[in-house]
Amino acid sequence: MTAYIIRRLIYTVPIVAGVLLLTFVLFSMVGGDISLEIAGKNANQETINEIRHEYGLDKPLFFSWDSQFVNHFKSAMTFDFGRARDREPVIDKIKRGIAPSLSIAVPMFLGVVFISISLALLVAFVRGSAWDTVTVFICVAGMSIPYLSFILFGQYFFAYKWSFFPIYFTPGLKMYQYATLPVLIGIVTGLGSDLRFYRTVMLDEMKNDYVRTAFAKGLSTRKVLFKHVLKNAMIPIITTVVLAIPYLFLGSLLLERFFGIPGLGYLMIEAIGSRDYFIINAMTYISAILFVLFNLITDICYALVDPRVSLD
Amino acid sequence: MLRKVFLIIIVLCICLVVVAGCRKDQGQQSRSDNVVHTALPSKIAGLDPANMRDVYSAMVAGNIFEPLYQYHYLKRPYEVIPLIAESMPIISDDGLTYTIKIKHDVLFHDDKCFPQGKGRQLIAEDFIYAFKRLANIKNLSQNWSMFDNKIEGLDEFREYTKTCKTEDEVDYSRDVQGLKAVDNYTLIIKLKRRWPQFIYILTDPSTTAMAKEAVDMYGKDIVAHPIGTGPFKLKTWHRGSYIELVRNPKFRGEPYPTEGELGDKEAGYLDDAGKTMPFVDGITWSIIQEEQPLWLLFMNGQIDVKTIPKDNFGEAINANMQLTDKMKTLNMQLEKFSEPSFYFLGFNMEDKLLGNNKPLRRAISYAFDRDRFIELFSNGRYVLADGIIPPMMASYNPQIKMKGYSIYDPEKAKNLIKEAEVINKGKLSLLKVGIPGTDTLSRQMGQFIKKCLNDVGLEVEMLYMDWPTYLEKLNSKSLQMFVSGWVATVPDARDFLENFYSPNWKAGSKSFNYYNPQVDKLFEQVEVMDDSPQRRELYRQMEIMVMDDCPAALINHRVSYVLKHDWYKNYKSHVFQYGLAKYRRLDLQERAEYKKLLKKVK
Repeated sequence: MTAYIIRRLIYTVPIVAGVLLLTFVLFSMVGGDISLEIAGKNANQETINEIRHEYGLDKPLFFSWDSQFVNHFKSAMTFDFGRARDREPVIDKIKRGIAPSLSIAVPMFLGVVFISISLALLVAFVRGSAWDTVTVFICVAGMSIPYLSFILFGQYFFAYKWSFFPIYFTPGLKMYQYATLPVLIGIVTGLGSDLRFYRTVMLDEMKNDYVRTAFAKGLSTRKVLFKHVLKNAMIPIITTVVLAIPYLFLGSLLLERFFGIPGLGYLMIEAIGSRDYFIINAMTYISAILFVLFNLITDICYALVDPRVSLD
Repeated sequence: MLRKVFLIIIVLCICLVVVAGCRKDQGQQSRSDNVVHTALPSKIAGLDPANMRDVYSAMVAGNIFEPLYQYHYLKRPYEVIPLIAESMPIISDDGLTYTIKIKHDVLFHDDKCFPQGKGRQLIAEDFIYAFKRLANIKNLSQNWSMFDNKIEGLDEFREYTKTCKTEDEVDYSRDVQGLKAVDNYTLIIKLKRRWPQFIYILTDPSTTAMAKEAVDMYGKDIVAHPIGTGPFKLKTWHRGSYIELVRNPKFRGEPYPTEGELGDKEAGYLDDAGKTMPFVDGITWSIIQEEQPLWLLFMNGQIDVKTIPKDNFGEAINANMQLTDKMKTLNMQLEKFSEPSFYFLGFNMEDKLLGNNKPLRRAISYAFDRDRFIELFSNGRYVLADGIIPPMMASYNPQIKMKGYSIYDPEKAKNLIKEAEVINKGKLSLLKVGIPGTDTLSRQMGQFIKKCLNDVGLEVEMLYMDWPTYLEKLNSKSLQMFVSGWVATVPDARDFLENFYSPNWKAGSKSFNYYNPQVDKLFEQVEVMDDSPQRRELYRQMEIMVMDDCPAALINHRVSYVLKHDWYKNYKSHVFQYGLAKYRRLDLQERAEYKKLLKKVK
């Protein structure tokens, strides 16, 4: 397994280099000259030139030891992403945004995973019953309603009309106060698709002979479902769950924006809006690294839960 | 068993909702403080006066820093009065030398950058240092254009900074001929040429004094450490989400104005006349980009004042453009506020097709249904622009409507297109319009423009682009037509007409590439004149000369509808929204009673 991990880590080098090249091309070449935007409407050419110099935009793009791409590469490798357009170090912004983001994303993620897998097991067991039909109907309805509608209605009714929750984040609020409503909305919106997926996975497993055998042996429903069926359904669950973890880093773009939670999703969406490439670049790079890393973890988990999978 | 499990899950969910919901109402709790709560639609770029060009940064910083002069809060037209200066400047006969006496009792905020953490007295040298920082090219100031080629020796200082490798290398003790501190409280500024608008520049938050100690200590982080002399100081800045200022306990105090314009007394704007400001203990801004949470916070009484969003306009304003019964029940108050702005569909006068074809430009102008545009995109709030100078400016020409520059007449447009085709010696080619935005609203506006022009037989392509691309295309003169606007930064029509002065062709919105030697000559003549009826008349002449050439199809002047709660006192619309928190007063009793009123409408 160690050899496999080392091999996979070596594979990440060209992937990361590719990501760096792609982000560089997108932001530096396709995205236009940001010095004009930084300079503002009334700037003259000499100020624009000075900004280009300050941000290294007057350097060659590729073919030099001091080229823009080499500097882009160096900053990524050292995690020194420079300063954002408001002159605050990008890394400070990211550090500050992690806690609020995770306070929403982690409970939401765990809630969705726990509830959807549990419910999926149950409705798969009672497939064809009224419970199953109602659950599938609710899932489809939930998937059909736009995400934004849940946010707008949730905020209007639960926060404004019935005053259960604060409408918007303010620094004095405790985490459970500002995070609960966004988390609940996130769970409700996430349940539909996940539950349907896990239900299908569970149904496939339920059809297998070993389930009938287990029941025939006289095992209780709980044991059959949670010990045998769940364990055998782990491969698709791990794939979905572990690969979703890197996205937690990006936060919940819409939820954070509508509830004013100063997390990484808010940071990212604001950076896109204000074309702060320094932040977008750092976030894209870190997300890519996490994605590659969690891909590796997924593969390792396969081997751990399924003896048929060998990493060598 | 399954039923039990389902029931347990449902009960757990309900418990989670109930437990989380069992909270004190944070919004109402903080309302007990004597603190103004408001919102900004966008994050602020920073709080360094030398490098602060976005209006929201200036709105916040204006309460922390104080320039030499300010606009009278109540009087209209806007009148400049002293703030840090002891009196109005003594201007030499040739209009070139300004001698400014500075108040003796002005202290910087307490901060660790000063010995023993005690803010020192402000002196004239602090202004000289601030102006030099603005000129320092290494500081990448967006505000340099204000001083470009205006003050004796300052451009040379800027040239010198180009030779320095970093910002820290710049020697600020270097002499600048036009900036002298005769003593600690006398500042002398020498201009290169007459510039009567200079006094307006001295009201801008970018021209406030800076403590060198603060810049030396915080370096690039000075953007987050604003050390000013104003009535408030920074307490919290969660970048991108929240800003809180608290009262500066060492503020010298300033009396509330004792006179205003007609009607101010009846409106209650003089209730606090002569009382010492500030009245509130602090001010907060939440950065809220989405309209729904902002509107709900306002309705919930957690935001004191806000403009009415397009989607909630019907809820707040009835068909007679007055408050609805619901808003009246909540004791809301409406303020209508004309902004000194104009929005237009600009023509690139260097474009071969448009530049040489005035009938075509006029046809486009006649084809544009402005009334419908205003109805669709502003709920009928905006005012149709008949000319460049907005109605609230002293130089506004009430007769300009008679000229009919902005009428909607598709038949006339069709006839003019025939003339245009004759000039063009053939059918007109596809016209391209640059729109700075790729969002839904920009596309809707683009569709509207396209339909108007298609209706009179013009073929048009709309080019939606992001802001840098738009700027780049404007600067390279590659846009044929473009949608843009201009908002005045000083209460002088010069600010608008400058867009059509050819030596000012440069980056940004001044991209009509319009050249009329007579307009240039008149502009140079007017620019150095003091405000007078004669100068206003010349402005009007210049406006008509430009409009006759039709370098743009003017669209509208903006009008804001602002809603405020009744507890929010001394709110009078003001174009230059810098440092206005000191005037605000809160009636905490009324604020506390709002909850009962709100229950009625919820």
